[in-house]
Amino acid sequence: MEEHIAVKLNKAIHQKARLGIMSILMASEEGEFNYIKEKLKLTDGNLSSHLSLLEKNKYVTIKKKFFKKKPKTLCRITEKGRQAFEEYLENLEKIIRSVPKD
Amino acid sequence: MKEDQRQEALENIELIKEVVLHTKKHVGSYGGGWISIIWGVFCLVGVAGQRLFIPQGALMGVWWTALVVAAIFASILVGQRYHKTQPVRAQHRYLRYFLRFWLPLILLGYTLALFIALTPSFSNHYISIVMLLVVSTGYLIIGLLFFRGILYIGSIGYFCTVLSAIYFLEYSDIILGSLFGVGLIITGLVINKQWKNT
Repeated sequence: MEEHIAVKLNKAIHQKARLGIMSILMASEEGEFNYIKEKLKLTDGNLSSHLSLLEKNKYVTIKKKFFKKKPKTLCRITEKGRQAFEEYLENLEKIIRSVPKD
Repeated sequence: MKEDQRQEALENIELIKEVVLHTKKHVGSYGGGWISIIWGVFCLVGVAGQRLFIPQGALMGVWWTALVVAAIFASILVGQRYHKTQPVRAQHRYLRYFLRFWLPLILLGYTLALFIALTPSFSNHYISIVMLLVVSTGYLIIGLLFFRGILYIGSIGYFCTVLSAIYFLEYSDIILGSLFGVGLIITGLVINKQWKNT
């Protein structure tokens, strides 16, 4: 039974770094690339690859903007991303509930 | 196997909680600190002006209106600057909820204050009493619905306002203006300090 629930966990989100990225973006309207990198202690390349995967799944959008002539990469969660994250959370709760504490 | 999955799920939920809480703290505290300081200065300057203008009722109305406009303008500037410079930004819906909550209360306070100003039998000292009761009520509602800490601030504000109205009406504006003004400035400084540590 619990195997079945584990299969349901969204693989695009079910990874520590991507879970962190999605959590930051769920709690805010949009987040800057450097902020996410710093908070999750990731490298540029690492964060880029995780963001690309999330973008490919249409969970986030990435835009470049200029502020005082400096480029900024802004990441924003999409409605599809929000729904996927909420569903992922529900599944985590189901897993916890499905296993008795002892 | 079952226990491993449960453990992993618990760890992931813990991670989500931690990240969401940290981000919300960062998002919520930046603009709030400066806005709190602006409204603290507004209280202190307002009361000082009220003391000067008390004999001229009409001038006092102009004074408070000008101050409110200036404080709202300054708060909007802080908000705009925050939106441009911060690495994570608040969701628009939170700002909308905030405005929807406070605007009707401010309107209520302003209307009651206007009635007091236009009624000769009422002392103008009641204007600050009414405004602070309305603000304290706002804090009480937020405290009851969401945050216990704000409930205490609201209760203290309400209690002090009622006490001042009963025992020190003539000096209530000075007492309450200083209390709320200094309180807001200290709150703003604390929020700014917390924000720097996030």
